[in-house]
Amino acid sequence: MPIHEKSLIRPENLEVHEHLEIEGVDVSGHWSTFIETRVVADYNEALEDEIAALPGGEYIHRCWQCGSCTNSCTVNALNPDFNPRYWIYLIRMGMESELLRDKDIIWQCVSCHKCTHVCPRDVVPEGVMKATSHWLELKGHTPKSHSMIFDEVFSEQVFETGKIEDGRVIKRFFKRTGQALRQPWMEEMVKGMLRNLPIGLLTRMGLATLVAPRTKNWDGAREAIREYVEEREEKNRKALGLDELVQAARNEI
Amino acid sequence: MSDKKTKYKEVAYYPGCALEGSGHAYNRSTKALGKALGLKLKEVENWNCCGAMEVKNIDPKLQTYLSSRVMSIAANKMKMDVVMAPCNGCYHNLKKTEYELSHDEKSREVVDRLSQKAGHETYQAGQVETIHALDWIKDTIGEDGLRQRVKNSLKGIKIANYYGCMYTRPRHIFPEKDQGPGSESTSKPHFMDDLLEAAGAENVDFPLKTACCGGAHTLSDSDTSTRLVANILQAAEAAGAEVIATECPTCHSGLEMHQIRAEKTLGLKTSVKIIYFTQLLGMAMGLKPKAVGLHENVSDSFAFVKQKGLA
Repeated sequence: MPIHEKSLIRPENLEVHEHLEIEGVDVSGHWSTFIETRVVADYNEALEDEIAALPGGEYIHRCWQCGSCTNSCTVNALNPDFNPRYWIYLIRMGMESELLRDKDIIWQCVSCHKCTHVCPRDVVPEGVMKATSHWLELKGHTPKSHSMIFDEVFSEQVFETGKIEDGRVIKRFFKRTGQALRQPWMEEMVKGMLRNLPIGLLTRMGLATLVAPRTKNWDGAREAIREYVEEREEKNRKALGLDELVQAARNEI
Repeated sequence: MSDKKTKYKEVAYYPGCALEGSGHAYNRSTKALGKALGLKLKEVENWNCCGAMEVKNIDPKLQTYLSSRVMSIAANKMKMDVVMAPCNGCYHNLKKTEYELSHDEKSREVVDRLSQKAGHETYQAGQVETIHALDWIKDTIGEDGLRQRVKNSLKGIKIANYYGCMYTRPRHIFPEKDQGPGSESTSKPHFMDDLLEAAGAENVDFPLKTACCGGAHTLSDSDTSTRLVANILQAAEAAGAEVIATECPTCHSGLEMHQIRAEKTLGLKTSVKIIYFTQLLGMAMGLKPKAVGLHENVSDSFAFVKQKGLA
């Protein structure tokens, strides 16, 4: 079968001929690309339910594949492989192995909400991207992304004290991701900040990184959030069958 | 219009975490501008983080709860009916919470359960109205009011107005937008343009008003953010802008940070200044650059504002 749109075909299934003649007709060039025919049989029928069970993925079933999300997508404009419409399709079809080909870029969604803005069926594609990234990490297909680590560092502080202090979040994030805080552009930025700041303000900023700002009377909220997070994590584990997965892995060893 | 004029004269002020840290210049300039214009701010007592993008990514309903607590304090403790949030992230989250609580039973359940356990009154949809700093100035003082009060005109300053993502998207959480004349547009917002123009500025035709700066991944995927910011900076300069006016601390810091990073990593130098709209309006109202926190910006605009006769 000759094709001209190749970006969604696995490279190993593409057959390209430099020169090709069929029944005396020269079909070199555009029409000389073929796809290996195959039958997909490795469906994960539970995939859509699993994504839908995670926060943000609830409305994936509403999608009717119009492609407005991909069309509007900020990241797609930088990288055509970033294709929310296609991933939603794969998830709904249960085509896990196809989805996994893009496992290392799905977390890159920048939450600009252009997709959610234009989606005519209120799928909240941005939420589906977040749910899918979580799914990939929970199932062990990918390590925790830097985005996830940032979310965790940030949220831990909010849950603990009620608010964040951004210097502290940045420091912890760099530490937890094993990155050096002293990067050339970072130094340049700090120099820019120091140029005009009076000593009093610098001291205040310095103190804020040592003594975290706190919301008063936060104990009740902290406890309520802790309970909710535990309950939610338990629910996610169950929906994805993680305990069984861990058990199966143990049995294999 | 006139009922908003009185209603917004005194509002509950929700600065949010960024305005106490990296976005302090926005905090300082918002307060100074309000004072100069005779508007009153009562800071939300004992406020907490709105949940931002990060808690929302962990679980959207937790973010809904966090935002609802802020609104509950404003409504039930302070008896206020308007909350003004200058940060696009906070503004967006409060609006989203209002939307979720009026449309989604499950969100109502979670918020009620957590509020009860935390020991405060549950926020009920409709108790407060959330507005942005742009609405606040636009609906109380307005263009005519600003024109009358201008001391240092922004005349001759070419500005690209940058609104970012959270101020207009997704459209359904902003039911008051796209309602015809006088209302804000989600596809081509203009409130900041209107205000700065009234203060004398010359707005350029800027195509990337609502483009994304990659703020969500400014540190976790810096290369993507640098490319997105580089687009914005270059488009602003191509449109003839000397200044990008901002109305969000995350966008503002992102533009400042990645302007430097684009130069270091992509060899792409831009000289467009990045200044909060409250700083520009404040200086137009006769406030000194330091009174609007110009010294707290990363990029150095002192020489520029002096040259333009604002200092």
